[in-house]
Amino acid sequence: MRRLSSWPGRLTLVVLPVLAVVGCAEADTVSRAPNSLIRVSVKDFRIVVTPGHIPAGEAELVVTNHGPDTHELIVVRSRRSHLPVRLDGLTVDEEALHAVATVEGVAPKGVGRVRLHLAPGRYELFCNMAGHFMAGMHGDLVVG
Amino acid sequence: MPRRRDFRPFAARGRRPILAILLTFAAFSTVSVVSSISTTKRSQHRASVVEVAARQRTLAERYVKEVLLAREGARVDPRFTASILARSADALLDGGTAPPVYGDDDETKLSSATDATLRAQLGQERRLVVDLTNTGNALLANRSVARVPLTAHERLRMKDPVLRLRVLAALTSNVSLNAARTLASSTDRNINHLIVLQAVLGAAGLLASLLLGWALILATRRQTAHFRSLITSSTDLVVVLGTEGCRYVSRSVTRMVDRGEAELLGDGFEALLHSEDLAAVRSASGCGGPPEIVFRVLNSAGEWRHLEAHVTDLRQERWVRGVVLNARDVTERIKLEEQLTHQAFHDSLTGLPNRSLFRDRLDQALARAKRSGEFIAVLLIDLDGFKQVNDSLGHDAGDQLLSEVARRFKHVVRESDTVARFGGDEFALLLECVTEREVVAFAERLLDGVAETVAIAGREISLGASIGIVLDPGSGHSEELVRDADVAMYAAKDAGRGRYEIFCPEMARKAGELLGIEHELRLGLQRGEFSLHYQPEFELATDQIVGAEALLRWQSPTRGSVAPARFIPIAEATGLILLLGEFVLREACLQAAEWRRAGLVADSFVTWVNVSAKQLGNGTLGTVVRSALEAASLPPSLLGLEVTETAVVEDGIAGERARAELTKLHRLGVRIAIDDFGTGFSSLGQLRHFPIDMIKVDGSFVQGAVDDPKDAAITANLVNLAHALGLVAVAEGIESEGQLSSLQDFGCDLGQGYLFARPMPADQISEFLATQRTALVDPDAAVA
Repeated sequence: MRRLSSWPGRLTLVVLPVLAVVGCAEADTVSRAPNSLIRVSVKDFRIVVTPGHIPAGEAELVVTNHGPDTHELIVVRSRRSHLPVRLDGLTVDEEALHAVATVEGVAPKGVGRVRLHLAPGRYELFCNMAGHFMAGMHGDLVVG
Repeated sequence: MPRRRDFRPFAARGRRPILAILLTFAAFSTVSVVSSISTTKRSQHRASVVEVAARQRTLAERYVKEVLLAREGARVDPRFTASILARSADALLDGGTAPPVYGDDDETKLSSATDATLRAQLGQERRLVVDLTNTGNALLANRSVARVPLTAHERLRMKDPVLRLRVLAALTSNVSLNAARTLASSTDRNINHLIVLQAVLGAAGLLASLLLGWALILATRRQTAHFRSLITSSTDLVVVLGTEGCRYVSRSVTRMVDRGEAELLGDGFEALLHSEDLAAVRSASGCGGPPEIVFRVLNSAGEWRHLEAHVTDLRQERWVRGVVLNARDVTERIKLEEQLTHQAFHDSLTGLPNRSLFRDRLDQALARAKRSGEFIAVLLIDLDGFKQVNDSLGHDAGDQLLSEVARRFKHVVRESDTVARFGGDEFALLLECVTEREVVAFAERLLDGVAETVAIAGREISLGASIGIVLDPGSGHSEELVRDADVAMYAAKDAGRGRYEIFCPEMARKAGELLGIEHELRLGLQRGEFSLHYQPEFELATDQIVGAEALLRWQSPTRGSVAPARFIPIAEATGLILLLGEFVLREACLQAAEWRRAGLVADSFVTWVNVSAKQLGNGTLGTVVRSALEAASLPPSLLGLEVTETAVVEDGIAGERARAELTKLHRLGVRIAIDDFGTGFSSLGQLRHFPIDMIKVDGSFVQGAVDDPKDAAITANLVNLAHALGLVAVAEGIESEGQLSSLQDFGCDLGQGYLFARPMPADQISEFLATQRTALVDPDAAVA
């Protein structure tokens, strides 16, 4: 048997198993990939959700801040009534709601991601920085 | 072509890498300092900006309160707060002066914002401030706030004007806060960058420091290696002496003494020094001088080596703290100097002091005698008969004899006395603190010592000596003493040799006269005071002139006519006889040639010249004779040489040389006669082998031939002997007819004497010869 003495040969012996392991890992990730990708564009003072209707299940929420100010995003199931406002009159009372997902402060030109499992239903997305919700930063998402 | 690499031990090593490293270090430091200053300044400015930005939040809230209070009728000025808000927002965005808030702070100068994100936030803030203040103004003026245009894309749907104002204030506050955060995070980033930069620069500086240290170590090592190689390979010896003894020795020192360095340090080195040199080395070590010292060190072979050291005082030098001796081994040079000094002051044959050293010691002895009043004595000793030994047995035998005599002299004298050899067979003795009686006793012992036989070259030889003595109480000079001793020595010789004479002034007078004659002889030769007289020789049978004897005469301008018997011995003693003899030969040949050319003499006329033993033994006689003959164009057969009996039969080299010289000249045709025959001790057998043509019977026999039967018998026998040997017999000193008659009876061939003619000057003899010639041709004319 010919001995592999040259360095390309040895490199092949090392690289091939590594590639095999990485390939398996990719396959695993692909099997658990979210069903939907929800792109949320936030800016002063507007939230645009694309698409507005997705199937239920695993989803990935990608928040991109196009505005000059910092923003956040909170996802809650829609209720029949309006979202409750705190006594300051400027912010939504988060403690009275169950947030499905939260993306904390996204800096201008920044991107925030979160994975979430969405059951069928209607959801509301809003920025709860002081006055932002009141200034119009909220949007809707329909699942199922 | 390979690059030449010079060996430069004193060159500054590693300068370039060190310089490069230092420059790098300097560059790092500069970058570090500049970036620190820049970052700090920017941070200071940003702090001001943050402060103003943060103040906007407070002002927005304060504005809302003041609007609400104003509506209630309170005495407040919301418009002033609105103006501060607006001017501050402008200053934050485009640069300028942010106005002060009374009672709070001072005005702040700001630069315009450059960061895009920050500008966007501040732009939004300015729009919100406008919307806020417009809304506030509408509320204060009781106008509908819903109609106030909104510029910051806010979508306000609430009906409550106060809530609307508060939301706008919250939005303004929020964006101001975020702008301040952006600035703060930007500052944090800058500070983080600065920290990273400083860390990198610090690491690079550390690396540069390490490199610098490494380069310095390398350079020092190379430098040290160069010097070490120079010192260790050098044969020069380096010693450093400090107050606590030896502090350093080079490898060459340890090699020389074959001891370890540890043994030599401290007191070890001093232990190897010669005790006489210890003080000099200690003095050099203690005082740092003198600049050069010579000392001796005991080497591994147990020899004292002389070291010549250059002393360098480095006691004040921080890293040396001692006196450095840079030494060379000069033993061979010193030995050579001692040898040369010894040679310069000693006689190589006998090892005795020579004339120079003797004179030096005599000077010292004179000085001592002057102080002490004691007498000193100088004895000058000349060996009698040494010349004969040298000539007959050769110079080696002569040298042996001199060595033996020197040994005996040394044996006789005291340790403190000086025996010297002046050269040849002349010795000198210096005695100190002596009386005349003691000196005489010394002289007698010396004579006895010399007289003892010595076995040299298989022969038993006994010598005599002539000793001149001078005694002095220290008043004289060394030159005078030696000269006086010399005079006394010659007096001893004159008095018969084998004895001593003590100098007295009368001797000096006589000696002075002799010296005077010698001097005048030399001058006389130069001035032409010498001339030749000629005494004719007659054939007894025919009365015809057959030859003439040339006789030297000296007409001194101060002494008048000086007899040859007076000046010839002096000329012999001083060697002047050689020059005089040459003069006689030259003149006689010229005169003979002239007579011949003038036709005054017969073709067989021989001119005879006396030759001294010194001339014969000198070895130049043949050359001188040939030269004289050639100069005069005289045939050799017309020149005769008269030599003494003793000169011919002398033993030794001089006698042999004389005989060889005469044989050669005889073969050339020159006639040879034995002068004063009968007075010497010639062996008749020897005479047979000599190249002789004629013998001259001494005048003392001739003059007694008439009255003394013994002289008559001797004369007759001498004539017969000459004839028996085939030689011509000549009788000298014929003064009477009776003598002539007897000689004719004996059959003597030729005669010479006052009876025939006295010696005459050249002009007179020429006339005499002319007369004789005429008589021969015309006998009547001669009678007339």
